[in-house]
Amino acid sequence: MKEVNFETLLLLLKAPSKEAVVRLCNEAFLTRNGIVKPDTIKEAANGLQVEQQEAKQLISSLQGLVKNALFHGSTEPAVIVKLFPNDFHKNLRDLLGKILIENIPNWKNIAVNNMVSLPRLTDFDWRVDIKTASDSMARMNVPTCILQLKVQEAKTNIAERPNENNVNVELSKETLETMLDGLGKIRDQLSSVAK
Amino acid sequence: MATNFHFTKEPPPESMFSDVQALNKFQDEQFSQLVNIVIAFLIEPNKSARLLSQLDEFAEQHGVGASPLKNVIKSLLTVPNSALKKHLTAEQLKEDLIQLGLSDEKGNYFANQWQANMGALSKSALGQTLMVNQLVDMEWKFGVTAASSEVNKVGNTFLQLKLVINKGNKTENQYMELTLPQFYSFLHEMEKAKASLEYLS
Repeated sequence: MKEVNFETLLLLLKAPSKEAVVRLCNEAFLTRNGIVKPDTIKEAANGLQVEQQEAKQLISSLQGLVKNALFHGSTEPAVIVKLFPNDFHKNLRDLLGKILIENIPNWKNIAVNNMVSLPRLTDFDWRVDIKTASDSMARMNVPTCILQLKVQEAKTNIAERPNENNVNVELSKETLETMLDGLGKIRDQLSSVAK
Repeated sequence: MATNFHFTKEPPPESMFSDVQALNKFQDEQFSQLVNIVIAFLIEPNKSARLLSQLDEFAEQHGVGASPLKNVIKSLLTVPNSALKKHLTAEQLKEDLIQLGLSDEKGNYFANQWQANMGALSKSALGQTLMVNQLVDMEWKFGVTAASSEVNKVGNTFLQLKLVINKGNKTENQYMELTLPQFYSFLHEMEKAKASLEYLS
């Protein structure tokens, strides 16, 4: 867990509006595992009328706060309050608490969907062909299914979009039936578990 | 000479006539044994080792030379092989064999056996049809994510699939993770694909 420097959070008191604070919190969430762009820091510094160095520290502290709140995942005001030290500025604590409570469900969704994982399926397409002739038969009439799966590999560089691999497989009618059999079993088990 | 064979447009080589005529020397029982061996090979053409060992065994049992026997069978195989390709009827196959010099009785027997195994034969010919990146196997597991470094309590259902794909010179494993909605839409789409395959076959 990141140490949160609550002193620097007090810089938020210079924010011109509530919206500006919300924007900064969202910015902190989106960059929580990456690098904050210089433009964002500059913008924040201009908005708050502070030095860029101070703005950078502020965003870093906000990242810590957001990550803590996200990890506990609670939207209970009583729990959120405990994230702050007792002697923290009361109005600012209430404002930040309110913003956190409003945004946590959304953030949690985003975080869960982008969780560490094995290569992830992103999309798939299929087509059905009829084979009409081949080297072993002059005339035939055999349907076959081609399935293309788009699989997103783990990112190798956090600044880049991850690689997407296309995987193409050809399925005969029998293979497809066997596969559907397996998928059907999964569905049956899922429906008995995920009720 | 004029060629009115069904299985080929070219006149067959002389050696083929003499090879097929050599089959007339076998007793009926021996011939039926040979036909069984040949048809079993046509049904599973990748089992050539089995064919060779069966022929060796046959040669030893009946006191015939193994290598001339193999040549005879090789010539004999060309006829049903192209018959499969061209969808010849049993009658046409019989005519061709008799024209090559096989006795009526043996030609009849071969054609009957051919007819009897037609289903398996054409299925095997279809099975040999080229498949690109054929799916060989699928393994799966599903479970629930309980927690992660970012979120203390998660509770998401995930599904992991492993597909084994035949890439021609090697098999390749492909792993992927699906969420629950993805899984259901995948299943639904595959059912649609199956329906259209069934409609077409």
